[in-house]
Amino acid sequence: MPLFELIDVTHDYGRVRALRGVSLSVEAGAIGLVGQNGAGKSTLLQILLGLIRPSQGVARVLGLDVRAAGVRVRGRVGYMPERGALVPGLRGVEFVALAGQLSGMPRLQSRRRAHEVLSYLGLEEARYRNLEQYSVGMKQRLKLAAALVHDPQVLLLDEPTAGLDPEGRSAMLGVLRALAQRPNRSLILSSHLLGDIERVCQSAVILDRGTVVRTGRIEEFRQAAAKRFRIRCSGDARELLGSLRRQGVEVEAAPGEDAAKLHLPPTWSTRDVFAESLRHHVLITSLEPDEEDFAMAYRRMLATP
Amino acid sequence: MVELDSGYRDWHGRLRPAWWACWPIAWTSVRLVLRRKLFWGLLGLALVDFLFFFALIYLKAQVSVQNPAVGRFVDQFLTSVTGAGKTYRDFMFAQGTVTMLLLAFAGELLVGGDYERGGLTFYLSRAVARRHYVLGKLLAIGLLVTMITALPALILFIEYGLLASSLAYFAENWRIVLGILGYGAVMAVSLSLLLFTLASWLHKSVPLVMAWACIFVLLPAIGEILRHTYDDRHWRLLMFWRNLRLLGSWCFGALTDNDTELAPAAAGIVLAVWVMCLLAAIPRVQAVRVVS
Repeated sequence: MPLFELIDVTHDYGRVRALRGVSLSVEAGAIGLVGQNGAGKSTLLQILLGLIRPSQGVARVLGLDVRAAGVRVRGRVGYMPERGALVPGLRGVEFVALAGQLSGMPRLQSRRRAHEVLSYLGLEEARYRNLEQYSVGMKQRLKLAAALVHDPQVLLLDEPTAGLDPEGRSAMLGVLRALAQRPNRSLILSSHLLGDIERVCQSAVILDRGTVVRTGRIEEFRQAAAKRFRIRCSGDARELLGSLRRQGVEVEAAPGEDAAKLHLPPTWSTRDVFAESLRHHVLITSLEPDEEDFAMAYRRMLATP
Repeated sequence: MVELDSGYRDWHGRLRPAWWACWPIAWTSVRLVLRRKLFWGLLGLALVDFLFFFALIYLKAQVSVQNPAVGRFVDQFLTSVTGAGKTYRDFMFAQGTVTMLLLAFAGELLVGGDYERGGLTFYLSRAVARRHYVLGKLLAIGLLVTMITALPALILFIEYGLLASSLAYFAENWRIVLGILGYGAVMAVSLSLLLFTLASWLHKSVPLVMAWACIFVLLPAIGEILRHTYDDRHWRLLMFWRNLRLLGSWCFGALTDNDTELAPAAAGIVLAVWVMCLLAAIPRVQAVRVVS
């Protein structure tokens, strides 16, 4: 059973179309939802939660139609929104226990579990403080505790590292990574910070202006760079690079530099590059794979129509 | 950053149906109100009125026991404390001012804050539907109203019965309990719906107090002026609190002839307010803001 499934989902806010006919089926695991502001990430999360009804199409989470079984879906999902979503005046432990009760936990169990989760997230000493006295980082962890309290099958996290300092961000990502590795549990992390996605998730869905640009495993995004190399030659390599370019190789060479980047066509291998260099009597001093991280792959994908 | 506990433990338990969530929503809201000193002050004011009635009933009983002749004399003056349904209806009506004040200031805490600070997203992202959230909030407001009106009225009824010459008072006046509960329910439902709707639109205390004042101060004043001007009692129907009192009188079986004429119209107005509140509140609960 897929973790979630979208069939031709479109959503409009008045005249603004936030999602455009998105069809998607995602298997369980740690999934990153990547996109710039306005890409439709939050709309997608809210549709998955059943908080908003799509203008068109069907959304299913864990096999349940969110339109018909929204409450059941939310009972199996823990949601951590980016902003707000706190109840001022409550103490930390009360807030988390309330979240548990609202998810259907009995009162005493939710209270006990709230203490447990707050301890797990390092908020043990702050649990009796009023929410107004929490720092931004603490509020983020508190919201994560509220999402975790009923031990949901799926965690939906909307920009969980927003507003955190580098140390706090690193700690939060560590926790998320640990949570993502729990058996039979899934995590959907929405973020525009590609480093966060890369560190926590196994696969990603890339959204741009309301459409899905690409889905796949993070390694697959990196593998897209397998045909990319950095070449360094001794002597004048202009003739060689020109010849490569004419044969369909993408060449990025800065004038005056002895190194260039090559993107080989699918039928090419490094052997063909060496053969070409022999033909032009150019000595290749190094030919290394051009390592591309997820961020670079993402930018390349968005740039490619 | 604080070091994290190394182990995450799973939780294995059975989740309850969503209806159970109404109570934690209501109780949390009431607790938030009771944490503010201002509301303890207002509850104290409500208590003053209650203690006054309580003391009157006690003194009247003591005087009647010790000197029945003086007791009868006192009865002629203390017509508001007769132990009949009218006594409790008037007490509940008199609690109106404090109830109004308390609700006007509590609206932001109870409902408005959820819209201002994203609390609505918190509630609705849990395993509850919108109706459970609304019911929880209405229950919270209803609890506050009941705490000030019906509950002390019931205590006064018990006090009167216990201090009366015999316990037959309870058997003879069981309908008063129904009256207290009925009038209490009408007040609780009407004020809950009205406050929830206004707070879901206005959010903040200042506009909320102004709107509340329009309904419970300005409209009655206008109604009274129009009544004098046109010499028509129907203008009194602009007084919402008084309309509730008419329904309360019906619950206690204490409608006067004048009241009987206006009661159906008052009931219609109260019902119309309920429907309008529901119609106005529904879109506010459906509009969950985009979080990011």
